[in-house]
Amino acid sequence: MATPELVQPAPEETPRGVPSVVATVGSRRAALLRLLASLVATMAIFSALIVALGENPIDAFDAFWSGAFGNKFNVGQTLMIASLLACTGLAAAIPFQAHLWNVGGEGQLWFGAFASISLILILPDGMEGWLAITITVIGSIVAGAFWGFIPGILKATVNANEVITSLMLVFIAIALGDYAISKLFPSQSNSTESVPFDRLLPNIWEGTLVTAGALLALGAIIVAIVLMAGTSLGFQIRAVGLNSNTARISGMRTGRVTVAAFAIGGAFGGLAGAIAVLGINSALVAGFSANFGFLGIAVALVARLKPWWIVPSALLFAALRTGSSGLQAQTGISSTVGEILVTVFVILLLAFGVIRLRYAEATQ
Amino acid sequence: MASVPAVRMTGITKAYGATVANDGVDFELAPGEIHVLLGENGAGKTTLMGILFGMVIPNAGEVRLGDETVSFNSPQDALERGIGMVHQHFMLVQDFTVAENVVLGSVSPFDLIFRRAEIERTVADAAERFEMDLDVGARIRDLPIDTQQRVEILKLLYRGARILILDEPTSSLGPAQIASLFAGLKQLSDSGHSVVMVTHKLNEVMELADRVTVLKGGRKATTVSKGEFDERSLARAMTGHDLPELPPPVPAAMDREPLLRVRDLVVHAGARLHAVHGVSFDLHPGEILGVAGVEGNGQRELLDALAGVRGVEEGSVEVGGRDVTGASPRQLRDAGLSVIHEDRHGWGLVLDMTLADNLGLADVATGAATSRGFVRRRRLKARARELLQEYDIRPANPDALALSLSGGNQQKVVLARELGCDPSVLIAANPASGLDVGAADYVHRRLLDVAAQERAVLLISHDLDELLNLSDRILVLHRGKILYQAPVRELSMDVLAMAMAGSAPEAA
Repeated sequence: MATPELVQPAPEETPRGVPSVVATVGSRRAALLRLLASLVATMAIFSALIVALGENPIDAFDAFWSGAFGNKFNVGQTLMIASLLACTGLAAAIPFQAHLWNVGGEGQLWFGAFASISLILILPDGMEGWLAITITVIGSIVAGAFWGFIPGILKATVNANEVITSLMLVFIAIALGDYAISKLFPSQSNSTESVPFDRLLPNIWEGTLVTAGALLALGAIIVAIVLMAGTSLGFQIRAVGLNSNTARISGMRTGRVTVAAFAIGGAFGGLAGAIAVLGINSALVAGFSANFGFLGIAVALVARLKPWWIVPSALLFAALRTGSSGLQAQTGISSTVGEILVTVFVILLLAFGVIRLRYAEATQ
Repeated sequence: MASVPAVRMTGITKAYGATVANDGVDFELAPGEIHVLLGENGAGKTTLMGILFGMVIPNAGEVRLGDETVSFNSPQDALERGIGMVHQHFMLVQDFTVAENVVLGSVSPFDLIFRRAEIERTVADAAERFEMDLDVGARIRDLPIDTQQRVEILKLLYRGARILILDEPTSSLGPAQIASLFAGLKQLSDSGHSVVMVTHKLNEVMELADRVTVLKGGRKATTVSKGEFDERSLARAMTGHDLPELPPPVPAAMDREPLLRVRDLVVHAGARLHAVHGVSFDLHPGEILGVAGVEGNGQRELLDALAGVRGVEEGSVEVGGRDVTGASPRQLRDAGLSVIHEDRHGWGLVLDMTLADNLGLADVATGAATSRGFVRRRRLKARARELLQEYDIRPANPDALALSLSGGNQQKVVLARELGCDPSVLIAANPASGLDVGAADYVHRRLLDVAAQERAVLLISHDLDELLNLSDRILVLHRGKILYQAPVRELSMDVLAMAMAGSAPEAA
């Protein structure tokens, strides 16, 4: 019965047009091999670039490695950036699973950071530190969720393209952040006033700058795993993402699922904003996000949208980031080279098929 | 068969990985004969013809044309030796004219621009020679499906094909169109062309075939000549066993309150206004109401509107006495309506989800398989196991992905889910399309079961045999209106065919 007929009768009206990310092709081992291959190729191109800049690639790699993992402190920096990337990765991954292209993680991150700094500085002085932190973290999550809710509701009600709407909201959120820095809570430097010391997320690893923000990120991963694997909403998000027609005709309220998936994605972005403000920078700093929101998309895709794979994926991208800082510190090569490195890596991930964009019609 | 056969294939073997599609198949085609290649889905028909047409390279075996052994590496090779194939999905450029499509591939693009008149004349001549009534200047996209098919055939003949392979050519045609296709094929065979028709429909074999070769499981089951076979013996050769007769339909309770009441329904289809144009009917307990019509006469829009995925412009729909006009699929489901959509992959299944998930879609949506927002996994799986067994779905593994199943088993999954909701009204659109005889028979029995349980089925189908065998009553849609309706016992195939073609029989 399983004999393949050559010309399969194509389904008449399969949903088509929008690519979906699917991890069905190839075994896990093959996927890891592909990932390794793209890492090796990235290093080769990176070496060529270093040689062209007149430096020794071996030294560069050494500097790179020590920047990411060279000592306890640097490992801590990598962990904190990974925490941000894990959250923005989830901000992309959950809507992506519903086949919704939330490219506005950067905006949800900024809006969350804006909410964080506003709340933490406005809450009355007499309030206990832990309470202020709790309120602020929850407030940032809600703010991020609201920033995700907007493209979600526009998609569900008037079918506005979520790529455009979520992207436009990035610019508004960044403008709001800049407004907070220059007008609402100005300070001497290029940032807002600092967060009072007792209202910062506590340090959890001596000798490093690792704070409870890392635990919040880990908690976010666990929430996402439970959401997708166990809950009715997660089930419906998957069903809508894989075939919204069938989901709809089976009685799922696809509009609500759309809004929910987007809002949940936004919530994770908002949490990233809180971690940045309360757990890393102690203020809202201009340009604090080195495109962490956008990098979250790559993190999610490399993790094939699976929440638990986001942990290694976020660590990998964080290491590329801290590594290039180390590179600049030790060899004087501009950290722009590090930016190029990340970009080349993402392109190669696509080329090697680690990230696959598949069209629904190609299922057979 | 004294003369040299036009084609002789011996010992053809083709394997895809572990699956053997053709296993030592012999096939012979005499000059001027119409040879039907019959078999269930996956029997290896398409592979065998793909090999003859150069699309598939066999692992072993010999292909001889006349006295000569050939080995084709591409369809181009086959075309050069006078073999042409009409695929199920036509290979026509929609925006080109008939003439342009016919000569495409045999003239240079420059000729197409500069010698239009001459080319049209040549093609018109060719059409006349083969007695085809074609407007060679018409654009393909404006032509009905059967005319497009004729263009495909002309294209091959124009290139000098003497051997024509047609893959399931009747799958989207109405009865009148099928009759005219068959007349055309007979004419071609009279003029010395050889025709191979791939099909799984038995009645077509009876009407057309000089000889039949039956494939089963990749092997040749038998080759028989006209007069040596009947539908029963062919069905047995195809399936390996006798199919028992379908039970007679239980008379519907026409006097009871209808379960589905549709009044003056108007449905739009995009820019083409009024795809459904004031349709009214009642569906009674125990009734199977057939909806016939040539494809594109409003069936799809009717289906989508009743399923709640396309807006109702005017009119009303009631399920079990409850007004559900314009209701969402969820509300319709709550009212007791289930839908088996004709597009199994697009609207019936989530191919990348497991069988347990697919079977549980509706239960998760309605909350029957959830508690406090969590999916009750164990319950979902247990229910799936039950359904897999009850509907004899293979593999009976709730963790298998839906896309790994054969078409017949996929359809059973849809059937199991939809009937598992205990609907009072089932809308089934082409529920057996693309299925082999055994699976189609199974689906039909299930539909009859539904009616026997005092529930009702609206059967929208382009398969007239299906409609005549299952329905109590048939209505014919033509240009979005009910052109004709009658109880099945008063209907004949001819009347139905006439109505579908748009001429309402007197009795209407």
